[in-house]
Amino acid sequence: MKKVFLSVLVVAAMSLQSRAQETFPRNGVYDERSGLRAFTNATIFVDYQTKLENATLVIKDGKVVAVGTKVAVPQGAMVTDLKGKTVYPGFVDPFTSYGVPTPPARSFSFNSPPQAESKKEGAFNWNQAIRPETNAVELFKVDAKAAEELRKLGFGAVLTIHQDGIARGTASLVALADKRENQVVLLDKAAAALSLDKGSSTQEYPNSLMGSIALLRQTYLDAQWNAKNWDKEQNISLKAFNEANNLPQIFEVSNKLNAVRADKVGDEFGYQYIFKGQGDEYQMLPQIKATNAAYILNVNFPDAYNVEDPYDARRIDISDMKHWEMAPANPALLVKEGVAIAFTSADLRDKSRFLPNLRKATLYGLPEQEALKALTYTPAKLLKADKYVGSLREGMQANFVVASGNLFDPSTLLLENWVQGQGYKITETPGDFRGVYTLKVGNQPERRMLISGTPEKPELKVVAQDTLKGSLSLSGELLTMAFAPAKNGKESIRLTGWYTGKGFQGEAQLPDAQTVKWTALLSEAATQQAKRDTARSRSNNALDMGKLTFPFAAFGRTELPKAETVLIKNATVWTNEKEGKLENADVLLKNGKIAQVGKNLSANGARVIDGTGKHVTPGIIDEHSHIALDGVNEGTQAVTAEVRMADVVNHEQVNIYRQLAGGVTTSQLLHGSANPIGGQSAIIKLRWGQAPEKLLFEGADPFIKFALGENVKHSNRSPQYNVRFPQTRMGVEQVMVDAFQRAKEYQKAWASYNKLSKSAKAKTPAPRRDLELETLSEILKDERFITCHSYVQSEINMLMKVADQMGFKVNTFTHILEGYKVADKMKARNIGASTFSDWWAYKMEVKDAIPYNAAIMHNVGVTTAINSDDAEMARRLNQEAAKTMKYGGVSEEDALKMVTLNPAKLLHLDDKVGSLKAGKDADVVIWNEHPLSIYARPEKTFVDGIAYFDLEQDQKLQEEQEKERLRLINKMLAAKARGERTQNAAPSRRGAAQVLHCEDLSTEGEETFQESEYSQK
Amino acid sequence: MSIVKKSVVRLTPKNMQHRLLLAAALFVSTTAAWAQVPVPAAKQTKATLLTGATLHVGNGQVVEKAAVAFTDGKITYAGPASGFNAGGTSYETVNVSGKHIYPGMILPNSQIGLNEIESVRATLDQQEVGLFNPNVRSVVAYNTDSDITPTLRSNGVLMAQVTPVGGMISGSSSVVQLDAWNWEDALVKADGGVHLRWPAMVQAGDNSPVMAQRRQARQSSLNELESLLAEAKVYKDQKHDRENLKLASLVGLFDGSKKLFIHTNYGKEIVESVRFAHKAGVKDIVIVGGGDALVVADFLKENNIPVVYSGVHALPTRSGDDVYLPYKMPGLLQQAGILFCLDYDASLHGSRNLPFIAGTAVAFGLPKEQALSSVTLNAAKILGVDKQLGSVEVGKDASLVVSDGDILDMRTNKISHAFIQGRKLNLTDKQQYLYEKFDGKYKAEKKQVQ
Repeated sequence: MKKVFLSVLVVAAMSLQSRAQETFPRNGVYDERSGLRAFTNATIFVDYQTKLENATLVIKDGKVVAVGTKVAVPQGAMVTDLKGKTVYPGFVDPFTSYGVPTPPARSFSFNSPPQAESKKEGAFNWNQAIRPETNAVELFKVDAKAAEELRKLGFGAVLTIHQDGIARGTASLVALADKRENQVVLLDKAAAALSLDKGSSTQEYPNSLMGSIALLRQTYLDAQWNAKNWDKEQNISLKAFNEANNLPQIFEVSNKLNAVRADKVGDEFGYQYIFKGQGDEYQMLPQIKATNAAYILNVNFPDAYNVEDPYDARRIDISDMKHWEMAPANPALLVKEGVAIAFTSADLRDKSRFLPNLRKATLYGLPEQEALKALTYTPAKLLKADKYVGSLREGMQANFVVASGNLFDPSTLLLENWVQGQGYKITETPGDFRGVYTLKVGNQPERRMLISGTPEKPELKVVAQDTLKGSLSLSGELLTMAFAPAKNGKESIRLTGWYTGKGFQGEAQLPDAQTVKWTALLSEAATQQAKRDTARSRSNNALDMGKLTFPFAAFGRTELPKAETVLIKNATVWTNEKEGKLENADVLLKNGKIAQVGKNLSANGARVIDGTGKHVTPGIIDEHSHIALDGVNEGTQAVTAEVRMADVVNHEQVNIYRQLAGGVTTSQLLHGSANPIGGQSAIIKLRWGQAPEKLLFEGADPFIKFALGENVKHSNRSPQYNVRFPQTRMGVEQVMVDAFQRAKEYQKAWASYNKLSKSAKAKTPAPRRDLELETLSEILKDERFITCHSYVQSEINMLMKVADQMGFKVNTFTHILEGYKVADKMKARNIGASTFSDWWAYKMEVKDAIPYNAAIMHNVGVTTAINSDDAEMARRLNQEAAKTMKYGGVSEEDALKMVTLNPAKLLHLDDKVGSLKAGKDADVVIWNEHPLSIYARPEKTFVDGIAYFDLEQDQKLQEEQEKERLRLINKMLAAKARGERTQNAAPSRRGAAQVLHCEDLSTEGEETFQESEYSQK
Repeated sequence: MSIVKKSVVRLTPKNMQHRLLLAAALFVSTTAAWAQVPVPAAKQTKATLLTGATLHVGNGQVVEKAAVAFTDGKITYAGPASGFNAGGTSYETVNVSGKHIYPGMILPNSQIGLNEIESVRATLDQQEVGLFNPNVRSVVAYNTDSDITPTLRSNGVLMAQVTPVGGMISGSSSVVQLDAWNWEDALVKADGGVHLRWPAMVQAGDNSPVMAQRRQARQSSLNELESLLAEAKVYKDQKHDRENLKLASLVGLFDGSKKLFIHTNYGKEIVESVRFAHKAGVKDIVIVGGGDALVVADFLKENNIPVVYSGVHALPTRSGDDVYLPYKMPGLLQQAGILFCLDYDASLHGSRNLPFIAGTAVAFGLPKEQALSSVTLNAAKILGVDKQLGSVEVGKDASLVVSDGDILDMRTNKISHAFIQGRKLNLTDKQQYLYEKFDGKYKAEKKQVQ
């Protein structure tokens, strides 16, 4: 017989003060009690892997005194019989802001000028987003309501973090008891917290992701320097930062890419972070695993979308649809890879979904033991608090959860949560009285009585000749019921009674007003299985999921295309070498390289592609691109040489694939043009499906973006931006001179330090490493190269003179629309040009821009390229190159070089790409037509000999994608029909095609025609 | 075309006379620099005959070795050269053998002449304040001396629909020809289009109050529009003491003298807006934008709604769309049997690339001559000017161009002659002038070195 739950609750114990307040005087007599209690006959998980049956737990003074199967109940202990119940160690949430104030929302006003300097008064850091001096323990106040909410989920202790800024200071481990702060704080500084979000900081810098990363890097360096140079600068923040760095580092990130990005910073400075992620880690499993980090996971699984309307359903990105399906599998997939995980209740708007979603995760393959570990042991261990919480060993906090059964069983209820020896009732559960009874009322013949339904809403049926429905209500163990003894009878037998342990008994009143005794003896309890079935049946097909794709985005493939040996036969081959254009020629691609170019080639085992009527060219190289980036501008300071575009490459952006479909194989991802000295470029190969790190062009020289003109001086921004120096071209010159002057002094300081003997070095503090000046000195040393956004001749001339004066070189002027006016001066300095084919007239400084620009510069002898600065135009750079034939009469071969060999030269990559020559990278495009024709389209685009775009494959990919969408749509419809929650289809931020230009200040993509209420054009 | 010759004036600072001379020289060169907008062509006085070229009529037909004759601005012959009979007329004959004759291209939905430099507010005249401005007329702000216009002509674009933007009803558009002394002369069809920007259906991500507000705001503006149209419909028959400019300007929608251009992209909005306009009694409806025109193709066909398709040179709207979808759309619309033409919504300065978006569409499935129609005859039909424009046919305006090669391909789009109403255009522009100025400089320097 199933033992029903006895709600014998220890009301007295509920208010027990079990931990002394040593230093506090009392108003009245002392009332310290030991709270010695024994919990017997329970199934106890001493820790996530040690399960004891019929065990006893003894607690005293808020701590565990003993636990085991042979533990004797101490004399004087209050005893609670927990037969049939399961006891778990109290859960530990490693990511909350329990009891600390919510940081203010970043105040933003369109009318306020940008704030260059910190507004925080005192000897703190220069940047408001760096606030390591914050100690959560100083802000912490017990919050009874919040504590109760967390306790209901099973948590006994939480890490509380003041979630504001990039360096967030220290976090405290606190117990969720309703006691004085002095009692519940378990570890005042349990961890340090970090993020890439500037939080409430009103200071302008950083306003981009790469700016945040750069600031974090510089802060590590500044702190290291400050530790040795405290006499040079008193800095409370840096001092605190150094101290906090010894603690476990909890790093909040908004997606998996940011975890990988932040991990690199950690590696650079020797810190292993613990990431608090967003549940999309499975999408980059190998990279996530390689971070070696533990992950704090929420269970905020997305709702299905409303997909009944086919038009609306179209708007949902396939990655969002797949994420709906796969998110619950995230914990399981991570654990399978050996990644340590801990669960947090964070991000759940409806906290009551914590346990159901946790159970969902186990249905999706997470072993129960691992789930329990992630709730208890792992978070405790991560916070170095496993001596206090996370298991139930002698001397540890008496934090435990009493459950009605197996935690992961859908029908199990959390009954009580004990924190620091103090018990809190969670569920006022009705007893579960479901089953079949033998009912005997007075002298009447026996009837069968069925109690079914749910424990909360039991239903009554009484079977004699007929099956009759009756009414039933329970209050604790007191029962009231009524039923009509005959079918359609108007008269009822009314019964009242109580639970006896074997059934019920009490008094009944018959229709004739006679009062009789009655009994109902349990003959058969409802089986556990029957109870579970309803819950389980929902998720039978949980593991029937779609496949991961690379990348996890539209046009992602389930398997990456492989390198092969390819022989293209009998095509027109544009070599860009002295052989020029070869008719009826062959190209052999092997091991990622061009093996041979010539006639009548053959190769064993090669896939032969008939190139008859087709044209083969080198892959297109875009010198000026902003695709595949999470952010473009850190334009908040005039000089931001420290930011790196390589930090924010996003390999999931569909524009990579779209560029491949236009024959592009290499792109230089540039910082924007909002400031004179911008950030460091990332040069990528478009290896669609590979992780960001693998997109970077190996061995490429480092570049940096400079900019001149209207964007730099904020000409086209609202008037409140008229405060940042420079506002004129005059000022821009001074910024440049000043920056390089400082860089020279920086170089000098380091040079003289480096010259010192070992012993002298030991006595002399090293100069502060400054990533901005370090980058600029690389330019002075010819180790980094400038691509400078520029328009009018005066500014172009100016920068050339500044370069002459300060002793550096300009590698490339990009855009350079008035280059035709100073082409001779550029030629004299061997500076290249990368320009638009025919853009003009959209702003004042392009009034004199002409489409003949490229032709003139080319004729003067300047290495000239045509660039896109636009994800759409980049897909038809061949057309843009062809315009130089129309405007200025450039030859067709030279025109093609403007988007292939010439940009390769500008990027110093012409030894690897840009022409078809044996030994160079097999970055090759096969066109259906003359590549400069308006009618040309790529049929295959190879990068390193791998066909990342293939017209035929593209068709298949689209068909598969459509099938996958339909499968998911049907699954969502089914989920909705089952009554699961849904959300409306909305254009996805993530999936929206991002088109970023030089001037874009925000990084949020938008679906072009649906977001604005009234389109402007 | 003139190249400014550099006069080298050596001056001593003391010599005032020389200073004045310098000033004068500067003045001359500045004037020259600003005299880059070519003089509008004079009226056709002599009958003209173009012979020997391949004629692309604009309606799908191609005539090899053709002759095109025009007198007093109208085409008098267009057909095989062999069939041409000069009669008694004396023609100024231009041998254009090996070249191609095309109708002048028409650019719909453009802010040409209303927008000179996008970032300089003072040069912008395209958008009025307020939600409903049907009475606002774009043509009165049309600047015939825009620096941009000549760059369109020299690529073969000779006509444009000058279209206001903003609000819900932005105003009315007019069709102009792109070679005129003033807007009055430029007019081809005045105030023929009323432009309605259909409010986006708000797609709530959740049921937040903001979303509810936006839905409500949308509904109330649609209600307002409904009553505006309802009142306009009966306005003509009313006796009114006071003229209402807004209502008066809408009357033409109900008698077919004006067309309603509805700017919208989303499939559901296309259906919703067309039904709305029909219900209001609007006779002629055109969809502009038409991003999802294909998914509602049957609806558009049944209701005989043509489309001004925007955004061939555009990225697909949704990440999962066929990467080439925008390039393929014209071909797909053609297959679906929808009357459509192309605009160049992406940028004004880029409008000179109108032939090349048609060319791109050819690469992705639209037959070549249909591509030409999509920037000529179809546009004329949709703008209601096909009686005089859009194809090289007898009786129509002699607004046509001669290109050295295929006009849709930038390698061969080289316009040697262009005529508007028979007037032979000066095809220079400021950009060519700057080209020659600096190309000349470097060539001269090279010579000096040699």
